[in-house]
Amino acid sequence: MSWWRRLFRRRKLESELDAELRNHVELQVRDYVKAGLTHEEARRKAALEFGNLDLAKEECRDAGGIRWAKEFAQDCRYGVRQLLRQPGFACTAILLLTLIIGANTAIFGLVNTLILQDLPVRAPERLVELLSLYPGDPRVNSFPPDYYEYVRDNNTVFSDLIAFSGFGSAQVGRGGLETETVHGQYVVGDFFRALGVSPAIGRLIDASDDQANAAPVAVVSWTYWQNRFDLDPRILGDRILVDGSPATIVGVLPREFFGLQVGFRTDLWLPATMADERPSLGLLGRLAPGVTIEEARAEMNVLDQSRVENWARESDDPLVGEVKIDLEPARAGSATLRDQFANPLLALMALASLLLIVACTNVASMLLARGTARRHEFALRVSLGAGRFRLLRQVLTESLLLSAVGTLFGIVLAYLGAKVLVRILASGRPQVGWPGPVEIRIEPDIQILLFTAGVVLLGGLLSGLAPAWIASRTVPASSLRTGGRTGETRSQRSFGNGLVIAQVAVSLLLLSSAAAFVLHRSNLLNNDLGFQRESVLLVSLDPEPSQRDRLFHLYEELLERLKTIPGVRAATLAAPSPFSGGAASRFVEVEGFDEEPESRRRVLLAWVAPRYFETLGTPLVAGRDFQFEDRGRPRRAIVNESVARYYFGDSDPIGRHLSFEGGAELYEIIAVARDAKYLDLRQPPPRTIYMNAFQEETMFANAIALRTDLGPAAVAGAVRQAVRSVMPSVPIAAVTTLADQVDASIVPERLIATLSATFGTLGTVLAAIGMYGLLAYTVARRTNEIGIRMALGATRRDVLRMVLQGTLGLLLAGLVLGVPIAIWTRRFTSSLIADLSVGSTLPMVFAATLMTTVSLLAVSLPAYRATRVDPLHALRHE
Amino acid sequence: MTIPKPDLPQGTLDMLILQVVAAGPIHGYAIAQRIRQLSREVLEVRQGSLYPALHRLENRKLLDAEWKSSDTGRNAKFYTLTRKGRKQLGSEQVNWANLRDGIERIMRGGEGEPV
Repeated sequence: MSWWRRLFRRRKLESELDAELRNHVELQVRDYVKAGLTHEEARRKAALEFGNLDLAKEECRDAGGIRWAKEFAQDCRYGVRQLLRQPGFACTAILLLTLIIGANTAIFGLVNTLILQDLPVRAPERLVELLSLYPGDPRVNSFPPDYYEYVRDNNTVFSDLIAFSGFGSAQVGRGGLETETVHGQYVVGDFFRALGVSPAIGRLIDASDDQANAAPVAVVSWTYWQNRFDLDPRILGDRILVDGSPATIVGVLPREFFGLQVGFRTDLWLPATMADERPSLGLLGRLAPGVTIEEARAEMNVLDQSRVENWARESDDPLVGEVKIDLEPARAGSATLRDQFANPLLALMALASLLLIVACTNVASMLLARGTARRHEFALRVSLGAGRFRLLRQVLTESLLLSAVGTLFGIVLAYLGAKVLVRILASGRPQVGWPGPVEIRIEPDIQILLFTAGVVLLGGLLSGLAPAWIASRTVPASSLRTGGRTGETRSQRSFGNGLVIAQVAVSLLLLSSAAAFVLHRSNLLNNDLGFQRESVLLVSLDPEPSQRDRLFHLYEELLERLKTIPGVRAATLAAPSPFSGGAASRFVEVEGFDEEPESRRRVLLAWVAPRYFETLGTPLVAGRDFQFEDRGRPRRAIVNESVARYYFGDSDPIGRHLSFEGGAELYEIIAVARDAKYLDLRQPPPRTIYMNAFQEETMFANAIALRTDLGPAAVAGAVRQAVRSVMPSVPIAAVTTLADQVDASIVPERLIATLSATFGTLGTVLAAIGMYGLLAYTVARRTNEIGIRMALGATRRDVLRMVLQGTLGLLLAGLVLGVPIAIWTRRFTSSLIADLSVGSTLPMVFAATLMTTVSLLAVSLPAYRATRVDPLHALRHE
Repeated sequence: MTIPKPDLPQGTLDMLILQVVAAGPIHGYAIAQRIRQLSREVLEVRQGSLYPALHRLENRKLLDAEWKSSDTGRNAKFYTLTRKGRKQLGSEQVNWANLRDGIERIMRGGEGEPV
């Protein structure tokens, strides 16, 4: 008999039990009648012998395990009735549980997808990723094509070397239909065989397709097959055009396979030989049997020396010599996104679990207060014979019921929350090594379900167990004797106090971490930028290369025209535009400046139009700005303070000359600009040299920047119009703001700051509700006592002191407990987020102050109510 | 005058039931009758303990139960031994034999032995 049968077919089991026992009596009667008794006598005798039928049934239910099922159903019914009786409590508790279950599940969904979920390939735990580390840059899985062959032929640690290369987007056309943009990947040789992926239909690319003269083939993803071909199996053999070159579709990948770079969409897979030129490759290795990752790392370090030496020989960059190779387990796919988001997500997961604790304590204290209010009921039930375990179960059932309802809503919330999270994650600018736009699919799977179930159970137990335990210890005599107005027991009081202290401590931890993250983001956005981030509109144009000769003229006219738009203070051009993610850099040679080859560093280059510094809000500290009239004259450059300091020291750089390695042009320095960040907020301003875009041979500065008086969006329409009338044939590629572009460069910091601020606020509100609840309850319970005290001469101030003393003590205890924990965990948070200013005490002070303020606010209402107690009224109550 | 019927030693009821059921599908009333007959009316199982014991054994998956019509034509719940029940019965038989031997040795040897 299975448990569900007991639970759901109880009525049938009951009737069977009844029939079985009656049957026994009937048979007995029959035998007695056979032995010669009259029917009446036989029946009487049999009934007498059997004894109490109901008692026997009850014992059978116990023995057969029907009883718990019956009682469980009873508990549920009773619990629902209890919760309906106090809808305010039920709604609050369900709301809290919904929030925490939703938040935890949403974040776990991302953690699961990016960090935990194994690739759907054979033995994913044997896969390792090769990563190249250039000092100061994020590590990338990108290697020269012949490096693949070199490692493949010389290593002894990998049973397979797996190579692929993203080609970003391509235009795909099919039989005269409209072309569309797809994201694709080249794969080398027996990529799919080495991974152990089998096709959904058709066949996959194999080594014979990756030959110089092989017929061109393509494999599509399930999603692409579904969206574009309606899962039509006849696509096998279809010919498509990829950026103009033909290929035949030979197979479809299985539904669960999205490629090796989790978080990016790949629609189309082609053999690497179809690339126009040999692409650089991402490499994964499958560890040979018995080889550990450490052994593989050691061998790769040796093998890699030749790559670094070759590279260093070809390059003048002294840092190339310090390039290292690293191996990383790749069971969950390539580290591309993980490197950026794993730590912030783990930090958020930690914060979300803190929130879980706070919310559970809240629900616990609500249940506790209710338990006290229900003591009369419990006492009555105990005296009527209810077992203590039975009461415990009853109260636990109620809290699990709350969790269950919270889960239903929580899953909906998690779904929406995960979408928001993915949107934030995808809002960043593309990074080196990203094959395309971020597209994370979170599908409910067994891990997520297990996780949610765990959270729910934990939530239900955490919030329900202690109140249930305390409620079950009801002593009937004393509770019944004193009627409904009983005081609480000592254990109840100290447990309730403990809950408030824990809430304050955990909320403090939440708040101070949140404050640290928010402060970090705000420091990044505001400190030492070197430019004014707000009120700058960026419009990038996409002119045909053939137009470039005419562009100088057109751009000059356009800039003149833009200046006249009301609300526009200055307009300029820049290439690359600040914080677009792209950058140019070169070694610079300065007359009369010698340096050691090892200390040579590249400088950042930017091509700008006149009034760039005015537009961006970067002041010139010496010299004068570029002019349109510079065109055709000797080249001019503006350097930033770092360049001036490094190359010229105390002497005046203006009028000096510099040139770039490999270039014949000599540039005269005409001004020094204030240091400004250009590429990465996390790095100090780089050495930067600005050049006049109007002095170059071709015009490639295609990003217009405008400083506006109003919000940048307000002038966007007029700017579009101006562009259309001056250069009607030039399309506008993108319109954005500098502030947005800067924001897009710090997605991890923004993600964690936004979410932790939300969690911190929630935690604080919860702690305040907890304190309010406790004090309101205390005051209500002590109304008599307060009345008596006032009747005996206590002033309002005395009453206030008495009421507040306890609560403020709890607050203090919470702070005393929370501050050391928060200080101790700062080391942990700073290990997750680079450059987090852990030394600052500001977040802690802020958190403690806010916590205190909010707590005082929360207790002020019940405290005020206590001073308004009318002694006569209170005593009449007695 | 009635001869007082001895109480069943603790825990032996389960064993007796398993032993009786081992012979083939049988319903509750018949189990009680069989125990009485086989013990030559020495042992009497009270219904109040028989049925809880049956349900307990069923719950522990030592017995299987099925409703079928009995020889009298009415529907009755027939019990059979499960594989697990058969194993249990085997080990209980061994235990019982050991226990009985031990007790007998004490009860017989104790008689008249010098202290």
